Amino acid sequence: MKLSTEDLEGGVTRVILDGRLDIEGAAAVDLRMNVIAGSCKKMLVDLQQVTFLGSMGLRSILVPAQAVSRRGGKVVLFAPTKMVEEVLTSSNIHTIIPIHHELSSALAVFL
Amino acid sequence: MSGFPVQIMPQDDATVAEKQLALRSRLEDLKQVWPWVNALAAEYAFPADTRFAIDLCLEEGLSNIIRHGYAGDPDHTIAVTFSVNDLTGLTFTILDNAPHFAPDLSSAQELTPASIEQVKPGSLGIHLMKKFASTLTYEQLPNGNRLTIGFPVPALEQADSLRCGN
Repeated sequence: MKLSTEDLEGGVTRVILDGRLDIEGAAAVDLRMNVIAGSCKKMLVDLQQVTFLGSMGLRSILVPAQAVSRRGGKVVLFAPTKMVEEVLTSSNIHTIIPIHHELSSALAVFL
Repeated sequence: MSGFPVQIMPQDDATVAEKQLALRSRLEDLKQVWPWVNALAAEYAFPADTRFAIDLCLEEGLSNIIRHGYAGDPDHTIAVTFSVNDLTGLTFTILDNAPHFAPDLSSAQELTPASIEQVKPGSLGIHLMKKFASTLTYEQLPNGNRLTIGFPVPALEQADSLRCGN
C-alpha cells in the first residue's frame, strides 16, 4: 500500500492511496494518515488506485476524517472504483463524507 | 499449535470441486488468502465483483476469528474450504476451534450515522459481510465454530464443463 500527498490550490491536501486497503494495507498507512489529518483542514482522499477496501481500511479513512472534522475541517473521497464505492455506500459513509468522481466538484466542497 | 481434525463436508452429486486452505491464527497469515482467492477466481472464472466480495468476506470473517475468537493467540489453526455446487453456488466454509460466539447474522440493518462522529470505526466487519455475501450461516460445533459464506455461482457452464471433465 502506497501513500503520497500533493498540495492543491486553496490549501487542499490530496492524499493519494494506491493498493489494497486490507488489514495489512491499513496498518501500512494508518500512522501517516493520522499525522496528515492532524495538520490539514481540507483533505481530499484520492481512492482511484485503491483496489480493495475492508473494514480496517475503512477505519484508516474514518479515524483521520473524524480528526479533521473535530477541528472544523472537511474531507472528501475522490474517485473510488465501483466495488470500493459499494463498500462505502453500503456502510452509508457517503452520507457523512461526500464522494465525488470529478476533481472540480470534489474541490468545490472546500469552497 | 493446537490442531483439530479438519471436517470435510460430504460432497453431493452437484458439488463439482472442493479446495482447502489451512491458516494459523495470526493476521499475517491472511496474506495467503488473497492469492488463494485469485487462483480460484482464475480457475473458475469468477467475475471481478464476486472475487472482491469473497475477498472482503474472508478477510472480515477470518480476522474476527483471529482477533476475537482466539483473542490474538497465534498458535491455533483455521481451515477454509471452498466448494462449487450447481445448486448452492460458491461456498466458503471457515472452521475454527475457538470458543463459541454468537454473531448477529440477521439481515443487515441500514446504518444511518447522523454525523461523522457517530460512526464507530472498526465495527463494520459483520455488516459488510451481510451486505456482500448472498448467504451467511453460523453453527456451533462441539469443539469450535463453522461459518459458511455463500456467493452466487458465476457461470453455470463453467461448473458443467468441470464436472464433465472438459
